[in-house]
Amino acid sequence: MGRVVAALAALVLFPLIAPTFYVYVAALILVTALLAMSLNVVLGYGGIYQFHHGVFYGVGAYAVALAITKGGWSPWIGFIAGPFAAAGAGLLIGWFCVRLTRLYFGMLQISLGSLLWTIVLRWYPVTGGDNGIHDIATPVALRTVGGAYYFILAIVALSVAALYLIVKSPFGTTLQAVRDNPQRCEAVGVDVRRHQLIAVVIAAYFAGVAGVLYVALERSVFSNMLFWVLSLEVFVMCLLGGWYTFAGPIVGAAIMVALRTFAGRYTENWTMVIGVMLILLILFMPEGVLGFALQRLRPAPAADEG
Amino acid sequence: MILFVVSAGLSFVLGVLRVPNVFHGSLYMIGAFSAFSIATALAAHPGGFWVALLLAPAVAAAVGLIVERLVLSRLYHREHLMLILFTFGVMLILNDLVKLTWGPDYRSIVPPPALQGSFSLRGLPLPRYSVLLLIVGPLVAIAMWLFTHRTRIGKIARAAAVDRETVGILGIDVSRVFAIAFLVGCYLAGLGGALVAPTTSITLGMDHTIIIEAFLIVTIGGLGNMWGALIGALLFGVTQSVGLLIWPQFSIVFPYAATVIVLLLRPTGLLRSVW
Amino acid sequence: MLRVDGLHKSFDGFRALNGATLRVDAGSVVAVIGPNGAGKTTLFNLITGHLRPDQGSILFEEQEINALAAHEVCRRGIGRTFQIANIFPKLTVFENVQVSVLAQQRKSLDLFHRASALAIDETSAILKDTGLLGRARRIAGALSHGDQRILEIAVALGSRPTLLVLDEPTAGMSPEETAAAMALIVRLSRERGLTILFCEHDMDVVFSVAQSIMVMRQGRTIVQGPPGLVRANREVQEAYLGVNDA
Repeated sequence: MGRVVAALAALVLFPLIAPTFYVYVAALILVTALLAMSLNVVLGYGGIYQFHHGVFYGVGAYAVALAITKGGWSPWIGFIAGPFAAAGAGLLIGWFCVRLTRLYFGMLQISLGSLLWTIVLRWYPVTGGDNGIHDIATPVALRTVGGAYYFILAIVALSVAALYLIVKSPFGTTLQAVRDNPQRCEAVGVDVRRHQLIAVVIAAYFAGVAGVLYVALERSVFSNMLFWVLSLEVFVMCLLGGWYTFAGPIVGAAIMVALRTFAGRYTENWTMVIGVMLILLILFMPEGVLGFALQRLRPAPAADEG
Repeated sequence: MILFVVSAGLSFVLGVLRVPNVFHGSLYMIGAFSAFSIATALAAHPGGFWVALLLAPAVAAAVGLIVERLVLSRLYHREHLMLILFTFGVMLILNDLVKLTWGPDYRSIVPPPALQGSFSLRGLPLPRYSVLLLIVGPLVAIAMWLFTHRTRIGKIARAAAVDRETVGILGIDVSRVFAIAFLVGCYLAGLGGALVAPTTSITLGMDHTIIIEAFLIVTIGGLGNMWGALIGALLFGVTQSVGLLIWPQFSIVFPYAATVIVLLLRPTGLLRSVW
Repeated sequence: MLRVDGLHKSFDGFRALNGATLRVDAGSVVAVIGPNGAGKTTLFNLITGHLRPDQGSILFEEQEINALAAHEVCRRGIGRTFQIANIFPKLTVFENVQVSVLAQQRKSLDLFHRASALAIDETSAILKDTGLLGRARRIAGALSHGDQRILEIAVALGSRPTLLVLDEPTAGMSPEETAAAMALIVRLSRERGLTILFCEHDMDVVFSVAQSIMVMRQGRTIVQGPPGLVRANREVQEAYLGVNDA
């Protein structure tokens, strides 16, 4: 607990000492970290192959963007509505997908997500198609990097706390059991499909929150948020950090965003760097950075207590 | 038809090696860019395009083989999720390598004079290049069928798809068969790219779009089933054409919608899958 | 308590069950035996809702349960262990049983409490009863095979079943482990008033513990009755040529 407080304190003080660009990067890391954490609810804890998680991120972001620009809603209301739109998408898509086993779940989700992507891509008048929507009228207080940063920090901290409680609740424990052995769960009376569906909806909701925060930071949305490549990158973040740990995705997101931002300064080919890193990871460290570190640090299991 | 060639390669690799090859799309792109280079280099010679059509896929196949021999073959026993992520990593690398080799601008080549223009079929224009594709597609299908049913290696590949361990116990060098099978799949990807090169602009984003379409086609056809890939590709192509007629702005929505409908009704694909 | 009549089940043309019947009285210990492929596991899968019968009826406490899904069958009071140790390998022993207890308490979907604070008493009681309390914090995947099978029984107990269906509970166990496991099962049956239905290959175990034995062959029930009757049955002797002690 002490470590968490210290980390929070560091994050709060950060903008006071760091140059604006780094604050911006930190904010981006926070948003991406939340997105990765939301995926890990279903991936690491639920064992579900959510291949197109980016859909919910995009839906949340576009919902806010459209509510503000086309609907003329107050941004604050838009911020609240966005995640619910994403959760709704999660319910709809999830309902169709949880009836299938792992791989087919993933494929159906990709097809549904890609369908949504094509619609967003081509519906130029409404969604801005390829260009996306820009200069969204977010609240004035959030238009400075510092303002956006603190808002994002607050929401992300709350979200992560909520996710922690969820993972530690009976729902979370049962979800892990479903991941390990769905057949056994059925035999003890757990409705596996309902459980998975609820997990997908929760993950979608928080992905929507991340999407809303992205709009708060960038004041734009892009159609590639719904493109499968982004989704797979989020997947990679979870793997990179360690998907059996709670904080792993945060580490993964931080590394990926940092790499992209800073490696991008030195070479145009930072994607290659990510590719190489990914391959090395799979070959040598499949439990991810955090998973690996924890394994080294944790002492051997205690002897029988009697 | 191009979709079929690419999807057939993906489906074959998926069926025999159980590898969902995400960088299959990158090989398609490499095939297109290689065709561009070869055709441009041989522009003075009359048969240049045909040479490109034969050699460009070989480039793609060579790249695929290098990856397979170096790293992929060590990973066959890992779970599918890891294979997907691994091949995704390779895709990222190949994408940048292509950018380094050919630069970020898009390229284009024109088909040879013999294939330009169109025939007239009862008053309807039939582009000559499309006729070529209509011939090549079934040729590929027949060639694949012959390969898997008539040659020794093909039959072993089919057996290995169903039961890898037993084939290994029989003393057959499974790894060599896998390498050859993978080579075939990659060649098909490159061939698709070479075939598509004259019809569209050759860009860096080609790999991203083609791979998702190929995967969806393979899934709706039945994983690992080549005839399924044919049906899937036809479905995809036809719905896109219909879309162009009815609602041009949203033409690409149609095939994706069709895919969704098929998967909702038959999640494991229209034909039997090897999995 | 449990009545199975005329059960038929085919897989792609292969007749797994061809007219199976079974009677289990409340509070008794019933065994199902038969050569490999006789259909025992299929029968159990049908009873616990993992499969649906093509024909026939399954009545539990006078109510038909043919069409129920596995988790609904469990809620009616039938618990199950599987032929291959089927536990949650990444969770601790304690969490394994806890999942089951929470499900029984209908708290699986509870998002608002800390799991570690719930269901402690009941989970601990079950662990104590099955002798696993000392290993509560170990990761289940690290247990020995025999212990995993006991854990499975503990997990099944978490759902407070009235009928416990055990698929080859002592498979892969050493003689000492087998004896201990069977003693545990019999003791649980008496202490908790559980009805036990199990299938086994180990004839010593079966004949020493079961009050009623049902014999299957090629998907059919040959006979069901007390051990002495079954032992004397001619058809059973034929089916089990070479079985000692018959």
